Amino acid sequence: MVKLIARPLDRKLLRDVWRMRIHAAAVALVLGCGLSVYIMSVGMRASLERTRADYYADYRMMHLAASLVRAPDRVAADLERIPEVAAIETRISGYALLDVPQIVEPASARLISLPLGGRPRINDLAMVRGRWPDPAKADEAIVSEAFATALDIRIGANLAATIHGRRHVLTIVGIANSPEFVFVSAPGELFPQPERFGVVWMGRTALARAFDMSGAFNDAIFRLSPGADDQRVRSAIDEVLRAFGSSGAYGRDRMMSDRFLSEEIKQLTTMAIFLPAFFLVIAAFLVNIALGRVIATERSNIGLLKAFGYSDLAVAWHYAKSALMFGLIGASLGSIAGVVLGRAIADIYRDYYHFPTLAFSAGLLTFAGAWAAAIVAVSIGAIFSVWRAVRLAPAEALAPPRPAVYSRSSGMLARFAARLDAKSRIILRRIQRFPRRAATTIIGIALAIALLVVAGAFPAVMTQLLSVHFSVANRQDVTLSFVAPREIGVMHAVAHLPGVISAEPFRADDVVLRHGRLEVREAVLGLPFNARLSRLIGSDGQAVEPPVAGIALARALAAKLHAGPGDEIEIEQVSGRRVQARIRVSAIVDPMVGSSAYMNIEDLGRLFREPGRISGAHLSLDPARYAAFNAQLKETPALAGASFLRQAERSMRRAFDEGVGVMNYLYIAFAAVMAGGVAFSAARVTMAEQERDLATLRVLGFTRGEASYVLVGELFVLALLAVPLGCVLGTVLGIWLMRLFQTDMYSFTFIFNPGGYAFAIAFTLACVAIASFIVRLGIDRLDMVGVLKARD
Amino acid sequence: MTIAAETDPSPAFHTIRLSKVYGDGPTAVHALRDVDLDVAQGELIVLLGPSGSGKSTLLNILGGLDRASSGEVWFHQTALNAMRERALTDFRRRHIGFIFQFYNLIPSLTARENVDLVREIAEDPLSAEEALDLVGLAERMDHFPAQLSGGEQQRVAVARAIAKRPAVLLCDEPTGALDLKTGVRVLEALVEINKRYRSTTLIVTHNADVARLGERVIHFSDGRIRTIETNAVRAPPSELKW
Repeated sequence: MVKLIARPLDRKLLRDVWRMRIHAAAVALVLGCGLSVYIMSVGMRASLERTRADYYADYRMMHLAASLVRAPDRVAADLERIPEVAAIETRISGYALLDVPQIVEPASARLISLPLGGRPRINDLAMVRGRWPDPAKADEAIVSEAFATALDIRIGANLAATIHGRRHVLTIVGIANSPEFVFVSAPGELFPQPERFGVVWMGRTALARAFDMSGAFNDAIFRLSPGADDQRVRSAIDEVLRAFGSSGAYGRDRMMSDRFLSEEIKQLTTMAIFLPAFFLVIAAFLVNIALGRVIATERSNIGLLKAFGYSDLAVAWHYAKSALMFGLIGASLGSIAGVVLGRAIADIYRDYYHFPTLAFSAGLLTFAGAWAAAIVAVSIGAIFSVWRAVRLAPAEALAPPRPAVYSRSSGMLARFAARLDAKSRIILRRIQRFPRRAATTIIGIALAIALLVVAGAFPAVMTQLLSVHFSVANRQDVTLSFVAPREIGVMHAVAHLPGVISAEPFRADDVVLRHGRLEVREAVLGLPFNARLSRLIGSDGQAVEPPVAGIALARALAAKLHAGPGDEIEIEQVSGRRVQARIRVSAIVDPMVGSSAYMNIEDLGRLFREPGRISGAHLSLDPARYAAFNAQLKETPALAGASFLRQAERSMRRAFDEGVGVMNYLYIAFAAVMAGGVAFSAARVTMAEQERDLATLRVLGFTRGEASYVLVGELFVLALLAVPLGCVLGTVLGIWLMRLFQTDMYSFTFIFNPGGYAFAIAFTLACVAIASFIVRLGIDRLDMVGVLKARD
Repeated sequence: MTIAAETDPSPAFHTIRLSKVYGDGPTAVHALRDVDLDVAQGELIVLLGPSGSGKSTLLNILGGLDRASSGEVWFHQTALNAMRERALTDFRRRHIGFIFQFYNLIPSLTARENVDLVREIAEDPLSAEEALDLVGLAERMDHFPAQLSGGEQQRVAVARAIAKRPAVLLCDEPTGALDLKTGVRVLEALVEINKRYRSTTLIVTHNADVARLGERVIHFSDGRIRTIETNAVRAPPSELKW
């Protein structure tokens, strides 16, 4: 019996949903957008984590590493005896300048020795093509895949390398990836320039000979037993290696490749929470608007159902089902779009992260989470309207609704209302009479504006970051880093390199900074006064001089140390003399990239008892002599690396365009869906509610245009009220989001970008205009007589 | 378009073989069939008949709310059936006052403001006070519709309809939702206005007693005019019963 009655009700449900199809489409699209980002980010995060975990496990990625100056091979046995060390491998590692004919600038490579006994026990290589080098042949080498791909290096090709001041010609026998270099960037560079930096693996004997390291090693890597105490093992390693010039063992958190991966995973997490949450809230709003309207028009049906004996619960379930249907349609859309987006983002990731394979896959739990979120959102949206249906007593529901009771405005509003024409007064009084509904529309539109403000802020922030970093802070053309610190006198030679217009020295030291119990390992950079090329940046984005005395900290570093100007902190060199000292923080600076500490170069030299020693130089070049400069550089053995600013900028810009850029277009598209959805829903509801008044106006002789004024006017008043709210909300969200996306590598600061705000406002108002125009067409189709003869 | 309605001696309305068909094929509904009718300027006519007999359809076509399927309808010298939508709107704006069964006041405007609404688009309208005074509501001008009884709301609707001094008042079941006492007050207002301003007044009703009010009574059934009676003696609204 119940079933027989339920079937027509279900048919009614389908027809209700069809009647509400515009609302349903808006809800489903908004949900779809939010959930697709959720599925993409959660799925991608899980894929990255899983792929990383598998890769690290299969190829035995190191847990700890230590670099040192030189230790005899016998020390390996001491390291092996350290409790909780499961495996240790000693290596010879260094840098080489490569002479690659395909590019003008010198390329460089990280050189790593392969163990004598064959394949590495730690950080094994995933061979893509070719074979392992023959230990008997000193010239055979393996190169990293990204480098080989970028320069089109094939198996059997030759590569000219200057190793430790001597020229070698290597033969490439294999192309491989390593868990140690999932993300590859040259020292001092943030973003990959695969054509300028690669990894080269060679036989131990050959490399020992090249670096004069026979019977010794300068790099040790470790795998730990499960559950090992990382800190304790590190101390033990340091104990053994301190005498050999180790700068201290470090974990994966300080390994560039793993750190980048972790940052990426963190950002995916942020994205998985922020954007979907935003869309779910909007979807709930839309459901609330749509269902509220349906239940208002279905009063008498609700009365009838109850009069027939349907329980409150049955009635509630009937109306809740339509909201759930919206949710399910949205969740389906979001699931499909999420997988499509996920695959697209995996393609981008494959360019940056070199795993043997990286495929996007979202687990069942991810989908379940998305579907559950959709159901929760629509349920929250539906609950108030459904509750109203439940509360309605049958007799009351069957009677016509009492006309809405309006009241006259008082005070200023009354004086304002008195000056309006009757049509404008209708608009004003409706907003006054239904403040909650007006607020819903205002908040919905404001959220759309806010999202667009945030989306518009990202490119501005990136542009600002790039322009400050590459135009204000760093105006050199190239930065040279020496293999080992040199006397300041070397600047004379540097200045005489072909095409050098000006040169400025710098000093860089790895240090541990301590404040109270807090400890951070960072670089401290020494810069000269009156620098023209590489400069510090103050909080206003302008260049500032290095501190006259004391140390300046990047804002992010100061935050980590809980230190501010005037505080005294402890500084300890991690290599060389290991000088320890106390120094006063004299300023907080705002470099957009990196989070180092800064001193003037003379102070830093004196502090570490090496006055007049420098680590490298910043140069500005005569463009006409660029090729000559580079030709000379390729033959300069004392260089660890050369960083070309324009190329660094290009690689950074490319990374931003591909990552942030793509996401940004997506944000804008999603914000458009949101603005359109909210505007359309609000317009439809207003039209439905005002149908009778609009028909009355038409009958009284008002033209379509005049009648439309009441409809469109209300929406526009609400939209205009939403503008300031949206701007404030967008700004707050933007500031908060920039903080979330902040990493050790960049500091994003929200930028008030008037163009972005103007776009957000104009775009949203255009959506409202289009929505009201489409809905306005309904006035042309108004059945004046039918509407007026019907009881409310 | 200007129509010198008040001074024109021609009939206010003149219809020739006026028909209205909704839908087509076997499901077509003939709401009006070949209606020929003349309505003199200032005349008060009651249209009587059961539901679906075509009386409201005729009223809507005369008022420019609906279009005939065939035939002609003239308002003085102007053919309504030839008018475009925009011109029909203008026609309603200048000449027609409508009164419906369910009042159709704008709930967000007070009684006075509802009347003001039409004054904004009328030439030489009555003041809102005058119009409301005519229907005996001068004291309740600043009340919102929800604060008024049904009869009062309908009288505001009457005041709103007459404020622009329309040539024609079209009333579709104006007392349909009212009890006798309040209904009588509404009818009294309509008769008074008809007398005072010589507004051609057509009242649609299915209440036979209301017919005693009209100069002529047109009986409708099945989309046709069955008979037209002329009342030798018109009853005042206070004598009516329903």
